[in-house]
Amino acid sequence: MQLTYLEAIRQGIWEEMDRDPTVFCLGEDIGIYGGAFKVTDGFIDRFGPERVIDTPIAESAIVGAAFGASLTGMRPVAEFQFMDFIGCAFNQISNMVAKTHYLWGAPAPLVLRGPSGGYVHGGPFHSQNPEMWFVHNPGLKVICPATPYDAKGLIKAAIRDNNPCIFFEHKYLYRRIKEEVPAEDYVVPIGKARIAREGRDLSIITYAAMVHTALEAAEILSKEGIDLEVLDLRTVSPLDRDAIAQTVQKTNKVILLHEHSRTGGLAGEIAAIINEEAFDDLDGPIVRIAGLDSAIPFSPPQEHHYLPKVEDVVREARRLKAY
Amino acid sequence: MGNKKAKSKANSNGNRPRNGSRASKAHLAADAVVRPVERSGSASRDLRTYSIPDYRLEHPDFTVRQRVEKDRDGADHVRYEVEGNLDTPVPPIRDSKYLDKKQCIEIYRYMLLNRKMEVALENLYKQGKVVGGVYFGLGQEACSCASAYALDKDDWFAPMIRNQGSLLVRAFRASDTMMQYMAKADSPTKGRDGTSHFGDIEKRNMVSPISMLGDLIPVMSGVALGARLQGRDIAVMTYIGDGGQSTGVTYEGINFAAVQNLGLVLFVESNLWAYSTPSEMQYRCQDLAERAIGYGIPGVIVDGTDACQVYDAAHEAVGRAHSGGGPTLIEAKMMRMKGHAIHDAAAYVPKQMMEYWKKRDPIARFENYLVKEKKWLIAKENEALIAEVESVIEAEREIAVNSPMPTPESAEGGVFCEDGCHEIKPKYAMPNVKKGTGSYKETEAAVHLK
Repeated sequence: MQLTYLEAIRQGIWEEMDRDPTVFCLGEDIGIYGGAFKVTDGFIDRFGPERVIDTPIAESAIVGAAFGASLTGMRPVAEFQFMDFIGCAFNQISNMVAKTHYLWGAPAPLVLRGPSGGYVHGGPFHSQNPEMWFVHNPGLKVICPATPYDAKGLIKAAIRDNNPCIFFEHKYLYRRIKEEVPAEDYVVPIGKARIAREGRDLSIITYAAMVHTALEAAEILSKEGIDLEVLDLRTVSPLDRDAIAQTVQKTNKVILLHEHSRTGGLAGEIAAIINEEAFDDLDGPIVRIAGLDSAIPFSPPQEHHYLPKVEDVVREARRLKAY
Repeated sequence: MGNKKAKSKANSNGNRPRNGSRASKAHLAADAVVRPVERSGSASRDLRTYSIPDYRLEHPDFTVRQRVEKDRDGADHVRYEVEGNLDTPVPPIRDSKYLDKKQCIEIYRYMLLNRKMEVALENLYKQGKVVGGVYFGLGQEACSCASAYALDKDDWFAPMIRNQGSLLVRAFRASDTMMQYMAKADSPTKGRDGTSHFGDIEKRNMVSPISMLGDLIPVMSGVALGARLQGRDIAVMTYIGDGGQSTGVTYEGINFAAVQNLGLVLFVESNLWAYSTPSEMQYRCQDLAERAIGYGIPGVIVDGTDACQVYDAAHEAVGRAHSGGGPTLIEAKMMRMKGHAIHDAAAYVPKQMMEYWKKRDPIARFENYLVKEKKWLIAKENEALIAEVESVIEAEREIAVNSPMPTPESAEGGVFCEDGCHEIKPKYAMPNVKKGTGSYKETEAAVHLK
């Protein structure tokens, strides 16, 4: 059936709650209201207020309670109304949840999920991509799907995983993309990238909404005879090192593209992996396209300037091809 | 638990009764001193009153403040000084409403184990066998031991750094804690963390603390939530200091337990010093138990150096949790009788304060109560008990000292729960879920940002 990105996530959680009585949801306004983006719309009527819990506006309490419940063998799915607010729970995630298995051997099968990302004029506190805060935290799995198929398969995989997973949903994609999603049960493995477009000339390594930016650029460039390969990481922690190395070995030139700020961003880490795994295969400099080193501004012309665009990818690809 | 289910269901998830009226009456004991806390307001019908039962048999009346002193050379030094009445006699132990002779002696034994274990740790530190510092619960043994003693087997708890006695009550061995301090391969965390930072979700239902204060409170509330989804109202006990309660997550955690009506039993251990900062610089209200009013939950005050008072308050709170009655805040008043950790001589504490609380040593008071007042232990039995505890600690010390250090490579692995590493299953029972008739339909509602 044809599903939007949002509907795919919604259906994934719904099916898991239907299948497994230990799965439950908690978060702000997720019950009768159905969540700010309606991911849990109708859940309370189906699964009841015991399993679809409206919480106080208290992110540390939401994460703490999810973690505590997970220690009793439950599989909580906690919603952040916007992922920007995950910072309010940072200590609970970084020092409590992420370290627990390594330090004292307790598994914490919980999912923290919510909308992230720009391009919707949400301003500095409703547009961020805070995934890197958690990539630097061993013990967490960080998932950033780009398509409805992956979003459904990965949210199910996250719920079934025995580890804390942070699931970043790109709010620009929620209702803008639609694709055929199988009716039968499936999961997409965490930690495995996919080739979103095969190409010969150069590789773009990216994820989430930027996959679509890269694909659009690839269409423009193909008319000029430049054949782009697009690698969609799907999971940003743990990274699929093999897939990163393989695409570089194939095309020998690579652009790293992400929405969040350049400094300390994922591109730096991927560049280091390429350096370790495929240095001899490079025929040109590793190119980074990223958000500016500032907060994300509110006004549409400013936001547009801050965020990576199709024309940035086209320009950099032409430059790198000619190198 | 069968008879309690209906009540908890009615109270669950937002359908609980509102605020103090239910909460304050149910737990009022006839013999508690009830100090009404008044809100401002002129007309009497607009004046609300709330009750905080205070079980203490004395009410220490002094405050700490900063004062500038001049030394011989005329240079200024800022010091803490204490003002108030520090000459009051030591009160008796309040007879427990619930504990019998055998139980009192058992708690007394745990308190002795707690103290002797910490003496052994101090010696191990002096012998250079401890990695890092040692944290003591000196003066707080009654609070740690008598609180945990009130829990049932299926209940959960999480200690803070000074609650090493709680671990002993919950059947951890002294050697577990000793090996943690010595960073040994056989320590519960296999060297990966120290002190009381370990846990056990299989048998002893303990959540590991972290160094950041207050985060355990929502976590323990979540444990109670998980159990309730599995059909059980359990008690979840944890602790916070007068310093730690200043954190925002403390508020979030208690409030979450309150709105969800979860069986949190929170001991606020008012031990007067948070590292070097006196409680006067942490909060302004008279007693931290008053905070319970703001959460809409019962709050009580006990003398934290009186094991019977601590136990009785914990027992009532645990009973409330088991019957679906929600959280309780228990403020235990006492003093931290050593520095923050072994390196800290606590020179900032006014001497008279230390002397005042030395006279209120929880073990000496309980010993006097059992041997001289109640005559439940004759002197010889008491000596034999102390000797037995010392031999246990010596044997535990041997085990801990003889454990090897971990290999360097053992730093690796275990970051994730891999396939086959743990089986995740509900602790109490598979949740008995009911499903509504709503079927899956695509959502078309308006959203926040497009």
